[in-house]
Amino acid sequence: MNTAFYSILLLSGSALLIYLLARLFSCRNEVLACCTALVFLLAGLVLFQSGEVRSESGLALESQALKYLVQGEQDWPGESASRLIAATAMALGFVVSIYSARYLELDRRFKTYYPLLLLTVAGLAGMVYANDLFLLYLFAEWMSVCAYVLVAFRRHTNTAIEAGFKYLIMGSVGTILFLLGAAWVYRDTGQIVMPIQSLEAGNWAAAGVVCALVGLGIKSALVPLHTWLPDAHGRAPSSISALLSGIIIQSCFFVWLRVGLGLGVSKHVLGNVLIWISLANMSVGNLMALSQTHVKRLLAYSSIAQMGYILFSFGVGLRFGVPEAIRAGFLYLVIHAALKSLAFLSKGVCHFYCQTTSIEEMRGIARRLPLAALTMALALAGLAGLPPLAGFVGKWFILTMALGTRHRLAVVGTVVFLLMSMVALGYYLPLIVQLFSIKPDNSQAAVPVMHVSMWMALPLIALGGIILAASVYPAPWISWLSPAVLWMGGG
Amino acid sequence: MNYENGLVLSIILIPMVAALVLAITRRVIGKYADWVAAAATGLTLLAVLALLPVLYEGVEPRISLDWLPQAGIHFILHVDWLTFPFLLTEALVTVFAVVYSLGYHHRDERTPFFYALILFFGVGMAGTTLADSVFLFYIFWELMLIASCVLILAWGEGPNTGSVALKYFLITHLGSLLVLVGLIYLYDVAGSDSFVVLKSGLELAPSAVRMITVLFLIGFGVKMAVFPLHIWLPDAHSVAPMPVTIMLAAAMLSMGVYGILRFPLSIFSPAQMSVFAVPLMVAGLVSQIYGALMAIAEKDIKRIIAYSSVSQMGYILFGLGTMTYEGVAGATLHVIYHAVVKALLFMCVGLVIRATGKRQISELKGLLKKMPLAAACSAVGVLAISGVPMLAIFNSEWMIYSGGFHTTHPGLVIAMVLGSLLTVVYALRLFSNIFLSENTEEWELNSIPRTMNLPTVLLAVLALLAGVYPSPVFGWIEQELTLILGGLW
Repeated sequence: MNTAFYSILLLSGSALLIYLLARLFSCRNEVLACCTALVFLLAGLVLFQSGEVRSESGLALESQALKYLVQGEQDWPGESASRLIAATAMALGFVVSIYSARYLELDRRFKTYYPLLLLTVAGLAGMVYANDLFLLYLFAEWMSVCAYVLVAFRRHTNTAIEAGFKYLIMGSVGTILFLLGAAWVYRDTGQIVMPIQSLEAGNWAAAGVVCALVGLGIKSALVPLHTWLPDAHGRAPSSISALLSGIIIQSCFFVWLRVGLGLGVSKHVLGNVLIWISLANMSVGNLMALSQTHVKRLLAYSSIAQMGYILFSFGVGLRFGVPEAIRAGFLYLVIHAALKSLAFLSKGVCHFYCQTTSIEEMRGIARRLPLAALTMALALAGLAGLPPLAGFVGKWFILTMALGTRHRLAVVGTVVFLLMSMVALGYYLPLIVQLFSIKPDNSQAAVPVMHVSMWMALPLIALGGIILAASVYPAPWISWLSPAVLWMGGG
Repeated sequence: MNYENGLVLSIILIPMVAALVLAITRRVIGKYADWVAAAATGLTLLAVLALLPVLYEGVEPRISLDWLPQAGIHFILHVDWLTFPFLLTEALVTVFAVVYSLGYHHRDERTPFFYALILFFGVGMAGTTLADSVFLFYIFWELMLIASCVLILAWGEGPNTGSVALKYFLITHLGSLLVLVGLIYLYDVAGSDSFVVLKSGLELAPSAVRMITVLFLIGFGVKMAVFPLHIWLPDAHSVAPMPVTIMLAAAMLSMGVYGILRFPLSIFSPAQMSVFAVPLMVAGLVSQIYGALMAIAEKDIKRIIAYSSVSQMGYILFGLGTMTYEGVAGATLHVIYHAVVKALLFMCVGLVIRATGKRQISELKGLLKKMPLAAACSAVGVLAISGVPMLAIFNSEWMIYSGGFHTTHPGLVIAMVLGSLLTVVYALRLFSNIFLSENTEEWELNSIPRTMNLPTVLLAVLALLAGVYPSPVFGWIEQELTLILGGLW
């Protein structure tokens, strides 16, 4: 699909330009942030141009690999699903770059930050659109390398270096495993463009499929391959965590699904595997989150749990052939992206102004930063699935679809789902309570309200507004998602 | 939009808009926040009352809008005779609670939020009764919980409001989840979210009926706070500020009753439900006796009244469990009367606490001469709750017992009647300790604002009136029963 190609081109080209801008002219942070945001906006718009501009139109930049992208996409029926993920990533990138205009004052390495941000999203877009295994590997590695650097962005702290290193090692193992799998599939079938009927092709190919799925499973934090995530998401700058937790692991999961289906694994098997993994994800994520003392680690574990909900929804959809469940999965994915990034960004505001990291320090933050406390409470309540917030709409769909199948596995999954969402309240609610309670010594009674910079306030307000709008009237949002479902459910 | 639909919509919209206005323009309007809230709740009550003639004409207002067409979910508000008594109870209690808090609640910069949340709490309850689609029902149901939980959290009295609010939220939310599963199951079987479709007959296997009913009974039982699902209640009620306690005890508990009437009892036939008759009656009996015993043992006067709710919900559950015409009618009557009497009792206790600053029953003595008005109102309250004739609750208890004697288990009714003696014990103990016992202290009482006295007196009068002249309320209930039972019993 050409539009994606141009979009990726735009993102990576401007990454270079912005680097030069920062390097040569020493532009101010705000200028760079605005430029980056503009690029994200443009790239998003390009993505939605359905113009039939073909590759023959004289664009000389096509390398052999990029040609795959262009040609492979012609047969790719899930284009709208890819577009959904890529567009969500760009929207988040837009919000994050505006937010960084002030937040990055903490780190002040603008000239590498913004290009890396752009490149991460470019890699992500390429990865979700790519239709052959080689290109997929290329883009996955592209995205990951940028993400490793961003996780370790606070290089003056040991913890960030450690988290980045851990992420690097585990992520590389994941991509290498994927590459190994792709090679084995190629060995038996001689094909790298999906769909490939690799399971009939021979033992090597079958082993390759398993390798590829395990490799991608590491990147999408499927339990028990999730161990890197709490460190990486907990140590990265909040703006980066928002992106990592909001869309990057989900996009890797999307690719996991694409590869699984594209390499000829039956929906039934894939669905079964997903449901079982989802139970592990929900349980491990929620139970581990209960014992966390740092807000960002708590949010990171909550991402593992929330991935479980998404997996469950897709699993039910594939296993029992329910398109609506897949739609629910996509819906929840998008809602979660908004909610989780809002939570991380609000946390970032608290960190920026009050240097809070632990849950205990968050106590009474509402006195000093009412806006951040409010948006954080909104995001946490949404993640907890409290009605009438959007998170509940997603949960309602997942539950109706799962119960509607009347199958024992789905019912067991539903019970675990409900139990775990009860457990989840056990850490979301105390955190909300903490935000709004006062220190016992009453030392905060006279603390003045701090002024939050507009650069940071606007993204919070915008995300909060989107969440509220989706909560009050979710119908149009679901219509936008519906085309994405055709790929798996319709087929 | 015709007249009656406009009324229904305004019941939801007036308080909601008022709440948003309060929250947004709090700097400008802050000083008058309480009066804005009072006006909004008053208008809501008027709108509810204006529905009465409409219902008598046989019109059932119904607003139906598409909400989530992809999933067949609608925004439907519907008023019928089952809705009305609960809607009225809720609106009435909210007005009285808001007027009471005009005097009770001290003003500070958070006051607009307090009233906004009270209004949202009211919207949650009104919406729960008005909603006619399962999705909407659940949303309002949880709104009610969230608003009240935030009120307890932010304005609770005492050192550990956080943990009390958390306990309240977690336990009631667990009940809500059971309700949610039941709702989703029904929605899935019926293929529609509308209650009307649910009611028009579902073909379900007996095991499925039993499972759904159990889910609903436990889920709504948590909200009703019947033993042993009541564990959230004493803490939440004693920590919440008095206006919120009044709304919790007098109005929110009855939402659980509404749920039981609306879902299992209306949807399934009496034959399908008969399995549950004896368990419900026994649960009611246990709850009645347990609540009363705890109220006798309790030392904090607010907690005594709180435990009395557990006991009173036992009567209601017993009435529902008889599954006879009289029993169910008595249970619904009891909801309304209990709301009036419980609000009255909490208000009296609030007056005493405000005047003396003390809550332990052992510290309160001989206030009769100092607080004659509060004493008179409390006298009405305690006599009413003990089931003295000519006062409200006597009528409903009579109906509940008579319903019980129509079943094949008269032994349970006799136990129930004997158990009600315990109610008399705690009610009279409360009254005589506070007001009659010998005064050993020199009381220096705080003055009580008129806005606290007025609603208390009004409720006492209402309790008397309801006891002397029950026929209009009874007329509404009769209509409701034809609706639920369809002349089957």
